[in-house]
Amino acid sequence: MKLSAHYNRVNIITSMIILVITGVIYYFFIHLILTNKLDRDLAVEENEIRQYTNTFHELPLPATYLDQQVSYCPAKVDSASIRDFSYTTYYNPKEKEEEPGRMLLTTVNLKGKTILVTIIKSRVESEDLVRVILMITLAVTIVLMGTLFMINRFFLKRLWQPFYNILKRMKNFEVTRMELVGPEPSRIDEFEELNQSANAMAERVRQDYKELKSFTDNASHEMMTPLAVINSKLDSLLQTDDFTAEQGTLLEDIYHATGRLSRLHQSLLLLAKIENNLISDVQQVDLKELISQKIRQFQEFFERDGLTVEIRMEEKTTVMSRYLADIILNNLFSNAVRHNIKGGSIAVELSASRLVIANTGKALDNKTRLFDRFSKSSESEGMGLGLAITRQVCNLYAYQLDYREEAGWHYFSIIF
Amino acid sequence: MKILVIEDEPALAGSILSYFKGEGNVCEHAADFNSATGKIELYTYDCILLDLGLPGGDGLQLLSRIKEMNKKDGVLIISARHSLDDRLSGLDMGADDYLVKPFHLSELKSRVSAIVRRKNFDGGNIIIFNEVKIDVAAMKVTINEKPIVLTKKEFDLLVYFLSNKNKVVTKNAMVEHLWGDQIDLSDDFDFIYTHVKNLKKKFAEAGARDYLRSVYGIGYKFSDR
Repeated sequence: MKLSAHYNRVNIITSMIILVITGVIYYFFIHLILTNKLDRDLAVEENEIRQYTNTFHELPLPATYLDQQVSYCPAKVDSASIRDFSYTTYYNPKEKEEEPGRMLLTTVNLKGKTILVTIIKSRVESEDLVRVILMITLAVTIVLMGTLFMINRFFLKRLWQPFYNILKRMKNFEVTRMELVGPEPSRIDEFEELNQSANAMAERVRQDYKELKSFTDNASHEMMTPLAVINSKLDSLLQTDDFTAEQGTLLEDIYHATGRLSRLHQSLLLLAKIENNLISDVQQVDLKELISQKIRQFQEFFERDGLTVEIRMEEKTTVMSRYLADIILNNLFSNAVRHNIKGGSIAVELSASRLVIANTGKALDNKTRLFDRFSKSSESEGMGLGLAITRQVCNLYAYQLDYREEAGWHYFSIIF
Repeated sequence: MKILVIEDEPALAGSILSYFKGEGNVCEHAADFNSATGKIELYTYDCILLDLGLPGGDGLQLLSRIKEMNKKDGVLIISARHSLDDRLSGLDMGADDYLVKPFHLSELKSRVSAIVRRKNFDGGNIIIFNEVKIDVAAMKVTINEKPIVLTKKEFDLLVYFLSNKNKVVTKNAMVEHLWGDQIDLSDDFDFIYTHVKNLKKKFAEAGARDYLRSVYGIGYKFSDR
């Protein structure tokens, strides 16, 4: 749940509850006040009737005027001192309808007789007043709700915009691209601070990465010169005559190791270069043609291991570095040969959407680390960088590289 | 051939110089930008081996200097920078070839020989070694004027051997020459053995002498001694 939605919900529910409670309290208080006022009016009327009776010794006329009705009737003997306020409805002859009223039932003494006096005052006005007040309250509530909702929806959204912008930039932040999170001007201190912290962090990460990268670059570069010297000196050493067979074997081992070291070194440099997107010969690559060429190149290896190759290819061109295309095909085909079984098969399938290179072979033991650097099966002669490079290339061009094993077949697919 | 080695690493330059010496080759060495400029301006070489990272200046500047002077010297860039951009700009600027360090001296020699052959014979590109005659451009081989049929790989191997006459050529170098260094299967030397065996057989059938010797199992040497 978003912060604003959460905040919105709490805000609106709280306001609603408070407004409803206020509304109810309001209603009752106004009702009470108005009723009190009516009761006072009724008491005044009662008082007038009493004074009139005391002065003139007769009852005033049972008049009906201005929403007020007075009527008399002789009281029963035992109802000596009744004084009772109550709600009632009465017939208003002027309006010709039943109306709500407040009634005072009281008694007066007239010549020793007890007369029951009923005074009814119309409640219509006060009811109307209460209703109007209620309506206003309700309207205010609704308007307030609406405003709150709008504020939350639009103003809060705008208020939080810098936060979302910063968040988006942080998500897109990639250390290899060597960029900062970027400034996000905001009048809100917290967001300003967040932006500054994010940028400071990005800068630190970038700095660390740069140092690490230049270290790796320099290290591999510096490694290269002695390697080249060793290589050339070995070649020179070999030209001097007369080695024993034993020395010959030693030399061969040294050669072998140097060769591996050179290839390892080149692979690492290549990986670094792909990561830094330093490969620039991007062009239209006719994959069908390139794969056919690769198959011809590997023909000898296929024949040596008695591999049958099944090819099903449609036309497919893609825009990428031809050099990298060559490298990933080399890696995939090398793997398909290396991890095959004698007399096994290789299947190549190229369509507009994907390239699948599958080979028969033994089951794998560490599938999850398949594409990691230096991960290789124990009997593999490779360096374990081929698939890491392949994945890196696929990442660069946003291709999806998948592996699955099914019925003794290993499928490597690149989905364009 | 007359060759100029522009390389600042003395050990590497020494190896290259000693590998190229003999057979009437003249080799000179320049270790920095200025001495290289001086030598290029004064003399003409069949091939210049140019290291890109030089003290005192960039090798690519030297290359553009050579081209400005309208010199016909062949240029082979030997660079530690395994960079495609450098390779492309080097070749664009008129270098004849590009070799990435570390390399095998035999590979270097074969590349230099190819450049020199192309320059000197104006595309005729013929290697003659005793009774063996190779037309590199047409990919034809004759022994005692009689043509023999070689596969592409056998042909490449033969040219490679002849570029490195009297030198021990290792199997590693041969594998990398034939298949490139990108194919990660090339630790397998059986292929080399097969190709060399076939080549020897075809030479014997055509009545050529047996020039190819295996050396300690590391490699082969093509020589008439």
